[in-house]
Amino acid sequence: MRTISTEVPEQLYKKAEALVKEGWFRDEKDIFYEAIRRFLDSHQSELMEKFVRDDVEWGLRGND
Amino acid sequence: MTWNGASAGMIKSTTKVICDAGPIIHLDELSCLDLLSDFQEIILSGKVSEEIKRYRPSALKREGLSFTTLTQNISPDELLLTICRIFALDAGETEVLALMQQNPQAMFLTDDASARLAAYQMGFRVHGSIGILIRSIRRGHRDPEETVRILAEIPLKSTLHIKPALLKEIIIKVKTEFNL
Repeated sequence: MRTISTEVPEQLYKKAEALVKEGWFRDEKDIFYEAIRRFLDSHQSELMEKFVRDDVEWGLRGND
Repeated sequence: MTWNGASAGMIKSTTKVICDAGPIIHLDELSCLDLLSDFQEIILSGKVSEEIKRYRPSALKREGLSFTTLTQNISPDELLLTICRIFALDAGETEVLALMQQNPQAMFLTDDASARLAAYQMGFRVHGSIGILIRSIRRGHRDPEETVRILAEIPLKSTLHIKPALLKEIIIKVKTEFNL
């Protein structure tokens, strides 16, 4: 595991803190881990490339 | 392919676009926001408009370009909220997808992969800044050389993230397409 240090907006942190207090997560670290995992799941390199390639084709040969 | 800009660029598209903040910001950074004036209407949600005002206020003040900001309360239904949560979309993207549900014939412009994925799943037409830039050749608003130059400037002038190898490939494709 790598340790990273970063700043998060106060409002965002408070939301994470509230979830921990309610017992949904063990600690804030768990939440940020889950958030990054989800972001990376939906930002896969192949998918982003496919979107850009689709755009190039549409740009060149689309009809709208 | 031969470029015939003058004939292609005269008739305005009948398509309405509903925009996320990304393409507005990125196209403005590249001095290409005027390309959106080709669409019949540029629609923003209240939250997207706020986001643009926060990060790129000048974009909404460009001469010759008018935006329709829908400030009324857009309430996404439970299904949409669930989809947006699964795709980890923010409030602005959720609002924009709710607008797309109300205007399914419109085109959704976003540079966010998750928002695009969610929109695809919902059956909407979706494109991003790169598509708009290249479309400008087809529509006669930029010539191919100019577009190649703009594409090459993306990493220097804009906050649009694109893999350098992919950008290089796109530039070669455009050059090949127009015999540059």
